Order: sequence, then C-alpha cells, then structure tokens
Amino acid sequence: MCAHPAQALPLFARQTGMACLACHTNYPELTHFGRMFKLQGYQLDDGKDIEVTSDEGKQLVSLPAIPNLALFIMSGYVSLGKALPDSGIPGALSNKDGIQFPQQVSLLYGGKIAPHFGAFAQVTYDSGPDTFNIDNTDFRFADTRILPNKTKLTYGVAITNNPSTEDPYNTTPAFGFPYVPPEIAVGSLAGPVINAGLAYQVAGPVFYALWNEQLYAAFGFFRAAETGSTSPGNPITGSPAPYDSGTSNVPAGNNPYWRLSYEYDFDRYNLEVGTYGSRFKIYPGGGNALSGLTNNYTDVAGDFQFQFIGEQHIATWKGTYVKEQQSLDASSALGLSNPTDWLSYTSTDFWYWYKRKYGFTLGYISTKGSTDPIAYPSAPTLCAANSCGVAPGTPGAFPVGVTNSANSNPTTNQWITELNYQAWLNVRFTLQYTHYTKFNGGTTNYDGNGRNASDNDTTYLLLWFAL
Amino acid sequence: MKTTTRPLKILATLASAAMALVAASTAIAQEAAPAVTPAAAEEAENLAYVKCQLCHGPQGNSISPIYPALAGQKAWYILEQLQAFRAQTRRDPYARGYMWGIASNMSDTQMAALADYFSKQTPFASAPAPFVNVTAEVERGKSVYNEGVPANGVAPCSACHQADAGGSDQFPRLAGQHASYLIKQLIALKSGSREQIVMNGIAGPLQEPDMKAVAFYLESLH
Repeated sequence: MCAHPAQALPLFARQTGMACLACHTNYPELTHFGRMFKLQGYQLDDGKDIEVTSDEGKQLVSLPAIPNLALFIMSGYVSLGKALPDSGIPGALSNKDGIQFPQQVSLLYGGKIAPHFGAFAQVTYDSGPDTFNIDNTDFRFADTRILPNKTKLTYGVAITNNPSTEDPYNTTPAFGFPYVPPEIAVGSLAGPVINAGLAYQVAGPVFYALWNEQLYAAFGFFRAAETGSTSPGNPITGSPAPYDSGTSNVPAGNNPYWRLSYEYDFDRYNLEVGTYGSRFKIYPGGGNALSGLTNNYTDVAGDFQFQFIGEQHIATWKGTYVKEQQSLDASSALGLSNPTDWLSYTSTDFWYWYKRKYGFTLGYISTKGSTDPIAYPSAPTLCAANSCGVAPGTPGAFPVGVTNSANSNPTTNQWITELNYQAWLNVRFTLQYTHYTKFNGGTTNYDGNGRNASDNDTTYLLLWFAL
Repeated sequence: MKTTTRPLKILATLASAAMALVAASTAIAQEAAPAVTPAAAEEAENLAYVKCQLCHGPQGNSISPIYPALAGQKAWYILEQLQAFRAQTRRDPYARGYMWGIASNMSDTQMAALADYFSKQTPFASAPAPFVNVTAEVERGKSVYNEGVPANGVAPCSACHQADAGGSDQFPRLAGQHASYLIKQLIALKSGSREQIVMNGIAGPLQEPDMKAVAFYLESLH
C-alpha cells in the first residue's frame, strides 16, 4: 500500500470563508492556525449553518448549509534514470517514462458535521492499481476548556485509519515528506511499519490533548480493519471480515500508538520538537493461521519542525528519525526471515516559498537496516513471460533484478529536490528530481543484474489542483 | 533646548489633531453599536470558545504572538475592527487572510457582543520575546512611547494611548500586546496596507528599530 498525501482543501476555504494561506504554508503543510483548526475538530464555519432546535430550545442539528466537498486531481509525467528490463523478452528494455493522467483523483469531505464533531475523509481513485480506496481519514470529537490556572486545554478523540493521521504536524508519516512521491518509480525494499506500512489496513481511536497550544500528547490503538480490494475477506461467509489465513500481514489485537510534542511560538517563528512511536504485532497470514507467533515491530521516533512565516518569505525545515526493532518470531519460525532485524529511517527537508508563488525544496531520506539474506534475497528477481517474482526453475524464467538486493541489505539513500510554481493557491506545478546514491544496499550493480542505484532516479513533472 | 521644544510642540499639536479626528470617527462607530442582550452575550461566549479561540484564545489571551491579544481591549475598538474586516476596509495581509472570512457573515449584534465579551476579560502578561535584549529595547521603547522621536517627527504615543497604554474611549489599548503583532501593524500602517488616517501619518516617519523598541516596551506593560 502507498499512502496518499492529504491536501489543502478548497472545501475548508468555502466552509470558513478564509484563504488557504490561513491554514497552510504550502499544502499540505499546516500553519499554527491550521493545526489548531484540525485539533479543534474542523469546527470553524462561516456562520451559515442550518440549525434546528427542539421546542425546549435544545439544538438538534447544526450542519453546514453546503456540503464541504472537494475534488483533488493530480496528473504526472515520470522519467526514470534508466529504462527497466523488459519482463517478457530477455535483454530488452521497457519504456523509460510514463504518464499518469490522472495519477490520482480524490473526493474529499472535510469540516464540521455537528458541534464538536468534524471529519476529514478522502476517497481516492489511484490509477496505479486502478482502484478506489479510502485514503487518510479522520473523524474527531473535540472541545476546548479553560483550566483553573487560566491556561487552555483542547482535547478530543480521533478515529483514523493510519497511525499519525490525527497528528497536526507534518513531521509524522501520514502527512509527512515527501508529499507527492512519483508512483511510476522503483520502490525500495523496506520501510518502518509506522511509515504508512499499515495505512488503511488498520483503524482505531486516538485520544489527544493539547495544553496551551504548546504541549501535545496523544495515545491510541489500532486493530486490523477491512481494506476492500486488497483483502479476500472471509472466504466462508463472503464477508469482508473477519480475516483468516487467506489474508497476509494481519495486525493482532490492539496495537498502541503514542505521540508527545512541544511547540514554541515566537515572533513569526515556531519550533516543534517531539517523539512518537508504535508497537505492532502482526500475523504473517498468507496461508498461515492467524494465531500463535507474531512478528513484532517497535518503532520509536523523534521529530522537529521549524517554520518561519513572513508576508513575502516562508521557510520550513523539518526532520524525523525512526528506529524500528523487529522481533520476527513468526517469520523466522516459518523460515522467512532472521529472528530479529532493524530499520532506521532519517528524513529531513527544507522548503522555501517566495510570495507563495515560487517554491524550492531540498530533502534527504535515508533508510538503513540489518542484512537479512532470507527476507531480502540476493538472487536477482526472476520474470517469465511478463510475470515477475516467479520461483527459480519456472520454465522460461530469466533474471531481471531491480527489486532485490545483491547484498541482502535494504539501505537506500535519496536526495529529492523540487521547483514549484503555484499559479493560484489551488493550482500547482511541481518539477521534482530524485537521485539515489544507494538503493537496496548498493550503489552499483545493487541487484546483481547490472542495475545501479542512480538508474532509479526519477524526473517527475506534476500538475495538481483542487476545486 | 530650543531645538527640541519646537518639534515637541508641533508633535503635541499633531497629536491633538489626531485625537480630534479619531474621536469623530469612533463616535460614529459607538453610535452604531447595538445593545448586548443576555442571549447575545451567551452566543458571543460560545463563538469565542468555538471560533475566536483558535487564534485569540477563548478569553482573548492569544498564545501565538502572530495573533493579537483581545482580553481587556476596548469594546468600541474591537467592534470597529470587526466591522472593518466585514466591510473589507481593513486590508493588511493578515486581515485579508484570516479576518475577512471570519467576519464576513457576522451580524452587528454578534460583533458588539463579542467586543463586549473580550473587553471584559482579564489580560495576561505576554511572554517576553526570546533572542532579544528586551531590557535595552524596553528602556528605549519607553522613551519613544512617552516622548516620541522628535528628530524624525514621530509623535509620542502616550499622547493618545494614555501613559499606561490602557487606551481610552477614542484610542485602543496597547499595553501587554504581543510585540510581534504590534510591529507587523506598525509596518502595515507605515506602508499604508492598513489604512487608518491618523496612524498612517504617525507611523510614516517611524523607523523599524523604533517600532521594535516601542513594541517591546508595550509588550512588557501589564
């Protein structure tokens, strides 16, 4: 699964009557105000709600006069550093580039549903798998109180389908950098579970509190959730759930997620430092019973964000570091991995905007991990007659490589730079270049089939707009 | 001594003229203010907790210095500003980005009740700005506030906003306001992006270091 970025929504502008810039420096990155708006349950409205009260004067409904709907559309062109091997003809090459028109179309609902209750919900058509799916979604109840010491407390509960979707900062995975990775690209071997590894395959409540607009704490837990097209559901009843051994990677029971951060606002700057993490127990499934041993993933992360918001100039520097310990009891018992592995994920990105029109981005992402010859096979991936990932010995099978690691190590380092032109606040052109200095553990011939890390570089031209 | 007396006299005259002008304009606003009924007051408190608090805090003590503190501000001034946001006659960038939308569908009754609510809240002391030698700035700012900058033709702020910066029936309260917000407004008033006939003239000759000094001084008052 890949996580889709959440977007700035014209629907919020319609609901609040405010310009996009109140909530966003550049979408989806939130300002201080945007963060407050989100944590408060998207309650701000333009005062035109439809309200019905009972004879006793009790409010029965208070909802926006116009449904807060929006469309978000992305279309992109991607060119790879070097064409991929052909999957049907040994020695031939595929096309070097591709266009996705559209790459993604999202229908969004965002805003107030009732007093203290709001939602951000997104249904996305994804041209890659050619499916509709539920994207980052959050339903939340929230309220604000003044404490006896006259400080402010905002608190609530958000039900979400991806850990960190409830979070107001853009340093955590659900709405983090890179906001728009190209879908026509070679994916690296591994990433921490908390980095959208279970996005839309889990759901759960996250309870949170924000004290004095500074100290934010959240705790929640996630359980396996029905995911539509990606799961066969329950073969006996034909229902989407409960799952059984026919489904792969099924989270077991309640899996905790936590978050703590502190924000300091001064002049036109704000600085956030925080920590977050999760612990997931996952049954491998896929032909194995959903009981007994699990694979256990413990993620602990730190993050920071530094924003400057001026009238002409906007700059943001942020980063996150995730360390994941993997205790792979189930997979190792099945002979599918080492007993333990680890991953680390480091990401930092700098954004500059001039007059909210011209933008420049530079980012660096590094994923490192332990060497695991079983989980990350060194032998080049095999294809036979346009079918890849076939077992050795399959008639007509030939090596293509690309997705494996010759040294069984997932380490991947990449630089990402972007030029952005925002013609209007809801229409943006992005030219993004991604350069890999290391891919799946190597710089040259990383797959043992002659492919270099830089062959997976991408040049990505993207048009995205919302209406 | 003669060289400073004459400019001070001119500045005092200018300040008097400003007071007369502002008195005339605020009198119009005050006449238009609807009475605040108990029901309107209750609705205003609810609005403050749902809407205004996102920036200004539920009781008007904003935490982020981007947004002005409203607690203890003069009710006539809050009402006048809300009406200016709704009419889109206050046009500085933050007004356009935030308050135009917020105020667009507010009635005069709601505005008057909100103004009344915030004016009755107790203002907190602002947190001092970091990375600034506040003590030195405050000392210099106090001089700018009380004596103006005669060399540049800047009138003393205290002539209108009162010695304690608490404001009056014609001039808004400035005491305890976030320095960052005050500086932004002084820049907007100087450039004319925020139109206010009296302050456009007074902020015109004010240099940015003096703006900062007086802003830090005002922030330190409580």
